[in-house]
Amino acid sequence: METTKPIVRAYGAALLALCAVLPALAQRSDASRSSEAVVGVPDFSGTWERYTPPRDPNAPPRGTPGAGGGLGPTFGGAPPPLKPEFAAAYEADVKMRQEAERRGEPIASANAQCLPEGMPAMMIALFPMEVLQTRGQLTIVQEAFSQIRRIYIGEDAPVIEDAEPTFFGHSGAKWEGDTLVVETVGIKENVRYRNAPHSANMRIHERLKLLDANRFENQITVVDPEYLTSPLVWTWTYQRKPGYKMYEYVCEDNREFVDPNTGAQRMRFRDAERSAGGER
Amino acid sequence: MTSPSLTRWFVVGLALGAASAAHAHHSFAMFDNEHQIKLKGTVSDFQWTNPHVYIELDATNVYSEDKTVKGWTIECANPGILNRLGWKFNMVKAGDEITIIVAPLRSGEPGALLKQITLPDGRVFANGGPAGPALIQ
Repeated sequence: METTKPIVRAYGAALLALCAVLPALAQRSDASRSSEAVVGVPDFSGTWERYTPPRDPNAPPRGTPGAGGGLGPTFGGAPPPLKPEFAAAYEADVKMRQEAERRGEPIASANAQCLPEGMPAMMIALFPMEVLQTRGQLTIVQEAFSQIRRIYIGEDAPVIEDAEPTFFGHSGAKWEGDTLVVETVGIKENVRYRNAPHSANMRIHERLKLLDANRFENQITVVDPEYLTSPLVWTWTYQRKPGYKMYEYVCEDNREFVDPNTGAQRMRFRDAERSAGGER
Repeated sequence: MTSPSLTRWFVVGLALGAASAAHAHHSFAMFDNEHQIKLKGTVSDFQWTNPHVYIELDATNVYSEDKTVKGWTIECANPGILNRLGWKFNMVKAGDEITIIVAPLRSGEPGALLKQITLPDGRVFANGGPAGPALIQ
């Protein structure tokens, strides 16, 4: 000990000091993203559900004869304006699905196979959603399929070449006045909104704005020049669901399956022999 | 049981609602909404899971002359939807005598979509908006 040179002792002290400071720096960096309070900008934090305008009290209940559509949350906007070279196949697919529905033999959707909706369909808020906001991050948790997306405020979305294709994509955002402007890239090509095809270069723009204390809107624009003749634009509005505690959603026992012969959605019975009986 | 005009309106409603219905966990087109039936029987199992809750029921068809007891698998909404309607995870138990109104599978298999359940204590619960209401009593 006595033989330790002063210079070694000095380096040792500097190293110790650095070790003490590094965790603090790391913590500060993390705090700016996921734990630092929201100040001076709108706060979307809370539990929400899709806003549906008040219904005519004399109208038949949803799902009854004469009630029309609206059995649940609906898709937004017009059908996707696909380029002619993709439109025919898309229309044939839509027609095939509609005819299968009419026959009572629906084609199994990705949802029926318990795959998450992904972006932008997850923002339909099929079930309630929770928004957690800090200075640097907006986290959206959908009860349906336990989907989670993270929007990094103050960052740009990554360049598409670097964006790993995922269900929820990679989102950067910035404030334009009271509006949070979000850009998302990197959506798997098999994650489809309204069953429409899209390219790896699709970009989803969102403008989140509080309308009042209890509602916010999300103006969504899908830009994909490889597939669309013009952007696909629509708006979804959400209303607060005060005091609601989010339910877990794990597809623990999915009895819907795809018929290997027809692609139709089928229902599996606990007692497999019973399903083979075909009698009631 | 269902008048032709009622049936026609219901088909129109289904067509208009097709896009939205398809956006529940899955389409309900495989169930025959126009020919709902009423079953009464004993619960052999109650499964509180996602994406659907299931009731296994040994039951007879209330309005059928055939009183043979058959095993039915009844698909309900999911725990979240049912919880928001007032259901609880332990509300139905094996051995319970219940009466239900359901839309049976078009395929003829002994499976159905729940519309309404009456519990042994007389309480009545629906199965949520996407599944639609009971159209018979």
